[in-house]
Amino acid sequence: MAAKILTEKGISCLMLNAGPIANVHKDTDVKQAYTLPFRGFKQPGRLPHVFQSNEFNANTWVDEKEVPYTYTSGNPYNWVRVRLFGGRSLFWSRQSFRLSDYELKGKSHDGFGDDWPISLADLAPYYSRVEQIFRVKGDIDHIPQYPDGNFIPDDSPWCGCMQRLRTAGSQRGIPVCKPRSSEGVDGLASSVNLLLPDAFRTGKLQAIPNVVVRELRTNPNTGLVNEAHFVDRLSRREMSVKARVVVLAAGTLESTRLLLNSGLANSSGVMGHYLIDQIYGAGLVCSVPEARNGKTSRELMQGQALIPRFRNINSKAKNFIRGYALNVYSSTHPMDPRAFAAYGKELQDKLDTYSGSGMGMGIMGEVLAHYDHKVSIDKNTVDAWNIPVLHVDTRYTDNEFNMARDAVDTGCELAEAAGFEVLTKNYEPNPPGYSIHELGTCRMGDNPKTSVLNKWCQSNDIKNLFVVDGASFVSGGWQNPTMTILSLSMRASEYLSRQMQQRNL
Amino acid sequence: MSTLRQLCEIMVPPLKGYPGAIDAAAPEFLDFLISVSPPDRQQMYESGLNRLDAEARQKFGIPFDSVNEDQASQLIKPWLRTWMEDHPPAEPFARFINVAHSDIRTATINSQAWSDADVAAGEEPPGVGLYWYPVEPDVNKKYLPRNEPRPHSEKTQSKLVH
Repeated sequence: MAAKILTEKGISCLMLNAGPIANVHKDTDVKQAYTLPFRGFKQPGRLPHVFQSNEFNANTWVDEKEVPYTYTSGNPYNWVRVRLFGGRSLFWSRQSFRLSDYELKGKSHDGFGDDWPISLADLAPYYSRVEQIFRVKGDIDHIPQYPDGNFIPDDSPWCGCMQRLRTAGSQRGIPVCKPRSSEGVDGLASSVNLLLPDAFRTGKLQAIPNVVVRELRTNPNTGLVNEAHFVDRLSRREMSVKARVVVLAAGTLESTRLLLNSGLANSSGVMGHYLIDQIYGAGLVCSVPEARNGKTSRELMQGQALIPRFRNINSKAKNFIRGYALNVYSSTHPMDPRAFAAYGKELQDKLDTYSGSGMGMGIMGEVLAHYDHKVSIDKNTVDAWNIPVLHVDTRYTDNEFNMARDAVDTGCELAEAAGFEVLTKNYEPNPPGYSIHELGTCRMGDNPKTSVLNKWCQSNDIKNLFVVDGASFVSGGWQNPTMTILSLSMRASEYLSRQMQQRNL
Repeated sequence: MSTLRQLCEIMVPPLKGYPGAIDAAAPEFLDFLISVSPPDRQQMYESGLNRLDAEARQKFGIPFDSVNEDQASQLIKPWLRTWMEDHPPAEPFARFINVAHSDIRTATINSQAWSDADVAAGEEPPGVGLYWYPVEPDVNKKYLPRNEPRPHSEKTQSKLVH
């Protein structure tokens, strides 16, 4: 996004990408699992912390042996990274939400943590423009904690089982809404097809793949950043380039890692702290009785819904603050055999009976920002280019576990009220990092003593340094952060270009 | 191995014209998978299979590989659970029974024998996916079996999966 905005304003940019350009036509093939060495199972010992990996997609994730990281024993962290051109925007789920002021001004609402230095009103114009580019489809719901946006209308009818869930929800003051998703173009909603082409068209963007940035350096007289040192991933050739401004968007923790390794921009002492992500993994699986025994249909069962945060809006939950959303899906497809405690013929009979009757819910929950949840540099471990790695020290707290429990119990209550049978449920969130929504560690704020960046994603210490990925977040909310990251980046880039035009930078 | 083979046969028998785990060579494949796996999977299978065998001997006086369907059911059923992705049962033997069941099913469904049955039935094979080739240099190259052909990039058809 920064590349697009800056080049469109006439600023020449050099983009340094750690990975190669991915080409789905050249780099992929449709294959049968039985032709692969491990029949689709994850290759043992490979990518143990990327639960989303399997034998088909294993080569898209950053290899943990090539770019390792460490964590405190007993507190595992799943750091999930992609270094292909376009990064994780190539593979994201496309759920597209705005933060509301319940997230942006969370402290004003419940006293915990810190408010962002901006509100929804500041971001709204940028959200609208991003939603336009990404072609976000959704419904207008008039729910303050699920802010409406610039959507392609979602006119799809509710399927029967979702309609029943909506009724059960409305009896309990729980909104069951249409989901919101980026349609993108030609089946892809990535920087690679929606943003970078505009930048390249200006003729002002030069993008180099396969270069790993090692360090940023500053001018000792001015304190401004002026140089990036990087190494070619393949040839190992060391290079450097001078710059008037540096914009970091390496993906939350990689940007922080680079700044920590460079020893820059941390007069507040807060860099690396307030690491957050979102809780995923807790949920339930149900069956809709009317769809069993061959009676399933798209009208009854083909659907999705999003239950936005409803906790701690107008009332206080018993044992947690903030809130969660529930992703709801239903399907005419066969059910997962793990929903049944059976094997052999008995299991097959159950699968035949229940085929096409499955629905489920999964949590997306806010994780609280704590100073002690942090990353730092592990000087004893280096990656394949001898760059010191990140050490992650974080864990979930009672707030997260209690929230997950409430989500599952509430989901079960709604499902049963709608006449569904709960087959299995899980209260336990997946390990921190699993969500792939790691945020924070270079948080923004109005006070340079307690924040790394100001409200323009600009370093408080080094005026020509900007961080425009998820590192600037003060709190995480339950919402997929992509729309917010893009909006913040657009806003920061326009500010930066104004500053450059006024010769302030 | 004979315990594993018996478990495969019992948990995933042939049904409705589709191969069972034995026809799909699932025991051989799992034996290979376990042998190249880190200690946690190896330990889970080893202690689980040993315990199954010990219980069969204690309860019926015969090794597990000789039990009939009803006897196997008595040994296995109490440990079956429902569970969700990434969250198998915590209790070690329950974990073994349920994860092994899932592994045996996957190994069977993703086999060539199953795929052939699907094609014969006019169905789309389930174990199809979009495979991403390694990014060069391939840091995992040494893990490929030696006679695996290196992929070439002349493609006639590819499916965009998003």
